[in-house]
Amino acid sequence: MSFETATVRRSASTGFAARTFATYGQEFIILACIVVLFVAVGLIAPRFISPTNLTTIFVGNAYIAVAAIGMSMVIISGHIDVSVGSLIGVLATISGTLAVSGYPVWFAWLAPVIVGMVVTSFIGVLVAYVRIPSIVVTLGMLSILKGGLISVTGGAWITNLPPDYLIAQFRLFGIPSPVWFMIFLTAVAAMFMRYTAFGRSIYAIGGNGEAARVAGIPVERTTVTIFAIHGLFAGIAAVLFATQLQVIQSTVPPNLELTVITASVVGGVSILGGTGTVVGSTLAAILFAAIGSSLIFLNVSAYWLRAVQGLLILATVLADMARRHRIG
Amino acid sequence: MTLSLRSFMRHEAVLGILLVLVLFVLAQQSDKFFTTANILNQGRLMTEIGLIALPMTFVIITGGIDLSVGSILGLCAILLGVFWQNLGLPLPAAMALAVCVGALAGLVNGLIITRFKVPPLIATLATLALYRGLAEGISQARSVRGYPEWFFVLGQGEVLGVPTQLWILIVFAIGAAAILGLTTFGRATYAVGANETAARFSGINVDRTKLLIYTASGLVSGIAAVIFVSRVSTTRSDMGTGVELDVITAVVLGGTSIFGGRGTIIGTVIGLILVQALKNGLALSGVKGDGTIVVIGVVLIFAILASNLFSRNGDG
Amino acid sequence: MTATPASSAETAPPLVELRNTSKTFSGIKVLKNVGFDVRPGEVHALLGENGAGKSTLIKILSGFHTPDEGGEIRVNGRPVSFSSPRDARKAGIATVYQELLLFPDMTVAENIFIGHAPRAGMGALDWNEMRRRARALLDDLDSHDLDVDARVGGLSVANRQRVEIAKALSQDARLLIMDEPTASLADADVRRLLDVVRRLRERGVAIIYISHRMPEIFALADRVTVLRDGALIGTKDIEEVDDASLVSMMVGRSIDQLFPKVVVPIGAPVLELRKVSFKDEVQDISLTLRAGEILGIAGLVGSGRTELALTIFGITPATSGEILLNGRPVTIRSPQQARDLGIAYVPEDRGLQGLVKPQTIRENVSMALLDRISKGSIVDRVKESALARDAIARFGIRARGPEQRAGQLSGGNQQKVVLAKWVSTNPKVLIMDEPTRGIDVGAKSEIHALMCKLAGEGLAVIMISSELPEVLGMSDRIMVMNGGRMVRTFDRSEATPDVVGAAMTHAGASHAGGAA
Repeated sequence: MSFETATVRRSASTGFAARTFATYGQEFIILACIVVLFVAVGLIAPRFISPTNLTTIFVGNAYIAVAAIGMSMVIISGHIDVSVGSLIGVLATISGTLAVSGYPVWFAWLAPVIVGMVVTSFIGVLVAYVRIPSIVVTLGMLSILKGGLISVTGGAWITNLPPDYLIAQFRLFGIPSPVWFMIFLTAVAAMFMRYTAFGRSIYAIGGNGEAARVAGIPVERTTVTIFAIHGLFAGIAAVLFATQLQVIQSTVPPNLELTVITASVVGGVSILGGTGTVVGSTLAAILFAAIGSSLIFLNVSAYWLRAVQGLLILATVLADMARRHRIG
Repeated sequence: MTLSLRSFMRHEAVLGILLVLVLFVLAQQSDKFFTTANILNQGRLMTEIGLIALPMTFVIITGGIDLSVGSILGLCAILLGVFWQNLGLPLPAAMALAVCVGALAGLVNGLIITRFKVPPLIATLATLALYRGLAEGISQARSVRGYPEWFFVLGQGEVLGVPTQLWILIVFAIGAAAILGLTTFGRATYAVGANETAARFSGINVDRTKLLIYTASGLVSGIAAVIFVSRVSTTRSDMGTGVELDVITAVVLGGTSIFGGRGTIIGTVIGLILVQALKNGLALSGVKGDGTIVVIGVVLIFAILASNLFSRNGDG
Repeated sequence: MTATPASSAETAPPLVELRNTSKTFSGIKVLKNVGFDVRPGEVHALLGENGAGKSTLIKILSGFHTPDEGGEIRVNGRPVSFSSPRDARKAGIATVYQELLLFPDMTVAENIFIGHAPRAGMGALDWNEMRRRARALLDDLDSHDLDVDARVGGLSVANRQRVEIAKALSQDARLLIMDEPTASLADADVRRLLDVVRRLRERGVAIIYISHRMPEIFALADRVTVLRDGALIGTKDIEEVDDASLVSMMVGRSIDQLFPKVVVPIGAPVLELRKVSFKDEVQDISLTLRAGEILGIAGLVGSGRTELALTIFGITPATSGEILLNGRPVTIRSPQQARDLGIAYVPEDRGLQGLVKPQTIRENVSMALLDRISKGSIVDRVKESALARDAIARFGIRARGPEQRAGQLSGGNQQKVVLAKWVSTNPKVLIMDEPTRGIDVGAKSEIHALMCKLAGEGLAVIMISSELPEVLGMSDRIMVMNGGRMVRTFDRSEATPDVVGAAMTHAGASHAGGAA
């Protein structure tokens, strides 16, 4: 091997650190933002980083991060689901209703997950086989679920949940279980997306559907499965949401789907499909929850949170577009 | 209209027949349905959606979508109150300014889409959040009341026995139909939706066309906001939530293809009447408001399904 | 098939063989009873005009289409059938298409191994092994400078092509089909590619090489097959043929009979370019175009001809230099401006850039001059219909009427609609980019006749074409481009296939031919 070839060879493969940063650049930025936010706000209002508040932030929003895992997969594959908020509301109500109606607790945890998967699989079939654009299907689904929920429950809250139903109460090493769920599920999903052929096929379908087909990936079947997995995560998120307090409100936070989508997009999932990670969306969900909490501590009206959300999405998307047009 | 006479007859005719059927069935269900009072009232109620559905037809024909119309409506409604009450402007000026803000919001949408090449779906999803957020932030959930009497003529009054806003809707609909079907701008709209590259290569200013359409969408949402406020006598920051669903359903039901290149105003109007009739019929049968949005969601999905079937049968 | 010199390979069955292969689409037979075979370690060139059936043939070989009843595919002598591209790949047949099927946001290594990635324990993907093997494959292809972790979307066309070739080899391809591989490559990359092909041949890989570039075919091929109108014209050893005989096989007549060139008086200069550049795709082009003149622009694909046209037409406005129209300097920053100045462009890609297929002939013909047939903003339907009917008559468009959808017309008639659209704008300069690509021979002559007639009426015509016979037959002057620059200009009298062809492959700028 001549000196020349050796030099060329060395420069033809980048180091591990450089590669990791190239792939996970966005995630590092978000992590940095989280740190900066906690430090900055913590200095201004020390109670912001008190254990109680941290618990509130993390426990209260862990379910959003979990829902964002499934949503990220959907967006990476090139689709979208704007009905996930209403879905979580429906599933949480089902869960709570089962719990207070005397069904075993494990059933009240499991049923919403199954129902969630059925509903999203149905959406997946409409998108993959009937070829209705996902925005339209899920826009319709949003009102079907939202309207259906209110019609059925009449807006009533569910009270008197059995104590052993409330997952949020369980702690492991002092950290509440919803946080563990969030960490564990994110890690599992991240490995799934990186180290399984199916996980890579999600990126493939979103990156170049035609090439994916030619490469032998069963696009339609895979798409339905992706939506089913999304339903799985939505179901788990619903259970986490339902099991926080002793009551379940009649609605989920307004525009929950937008918050979940924000987490994915700000976390690095490109709306054009083909890129992004679930680690990113989890981090972004945490960041957004922290921003929401910090507004209260900084005496900024919480009513500005939605505007912040919109600005974040817009900034992320514009940066993404600008980057694409430079490299192309 | 870009459809040949034969396919026009096929789609709009089917729609027309469907409308007649639905009206007939609903008339049977409740004797309150076919009264003049009810029909006029329904006309009043459907104006806001109807107005926004007009530019939305243009938007969807170009292959785009505007999810932020509801948020623009809410923002303009809030700003109307702010301009009048907080800033002390005379009410007509506040109205005009609020509409201008709507146009500006639409222009921003258009710029994000044309200059930054952000897909319309995500661009208007982001501005949906941003504009609604601005509305919420500015209003701090306070509502504005106490408008002068003459203001309510717009939303609650009548001219020659017909609700005021319905006249506005009729005029705008005729105008929109004329622009889409008869003018060079309408042709440009169809061309951009059917094949944007070929349109550009033919000398059509694609960016300008899109910019105008999205600005119009925002402007009309602003007008709808003023009418809305006049009709319900107050302003609140959650106004217009969910409007985009009704609007898109009306447009798609009316035969406009979600993929672009096809659609007519008359189709949208028929779709609008169908949606309103359905809502009314359900309400008269005792179904509560939330139940009707379930039906609208189902109708949307079926409308697209049917549209897919039609286009595969030899149209496109 | 013709007899070949005796060799041990003759007695063994061919690597891949097609017998009695036909293919029908919507009642139209695009392949008619074709027989074709490839031997191991052979470079077999496949020639034919657009529409001759080449892409259908390779799509059948690579598993995208199934042959009609009666057709047979054999691999190593045994009949096989492919129900998907995957089957063909498993049989050792891989294809590198012009529109590369890659994932822009994935790395080179992942692109190479998508669908068949190496696994570690428990079925997890082994990324290290993937990168190692990708590196080895790329080194084999002499692509040491291509980083396996690079994002494919940011690579040059040449590098992306290397990824595709590596992808094919990663599945042990025994037959590699390459569809117009040098179409978008610069000269240096073309040379590297030819080296790669030779190297693969040495390793026993058979290659089907589709190209219309004679120099490459004669440099590489062992045998050559010519298709025309879906039928097999002949398969010959490369020693038995030359440029002229190949062209005549492809086209069916000798060159002179094809194009009825009418000599027309040439008038005053209409369009003048002075050192016009667009980034690095068009460099310092200077030319003068006169009324009644047909200027043919020849060059290999990727030489910058279309880029030049798009710069004149305002899609990619010039970054430096001057454009003059009738002696006055003009700025052209958009297609509207170009059109208003009297410049028309009939694009290369009819379906994507020229026509709006779902719309009617009437709507397509009027699309470039809507503001001229409207009162205020209202389109004058009467004038529009008259325009369409007039166009149909004048250009001989075979259609049911102005209300027929443009997408239903044949290729030749579609091209006439696009031409009609632009001629209606009364241009002074008409640029036609590959005017007869994908059109049957009869319609070709009609288009050429129309071109001559337009020149006779005083239009200045620029004709960009990759078909040498067409360029030689129609042009009053020929400009050869390479690498974005003008290499030489020839007068009609001094242009022969040899000198023009030589200029096309000549790298770098030469001012010997003069700037006019």
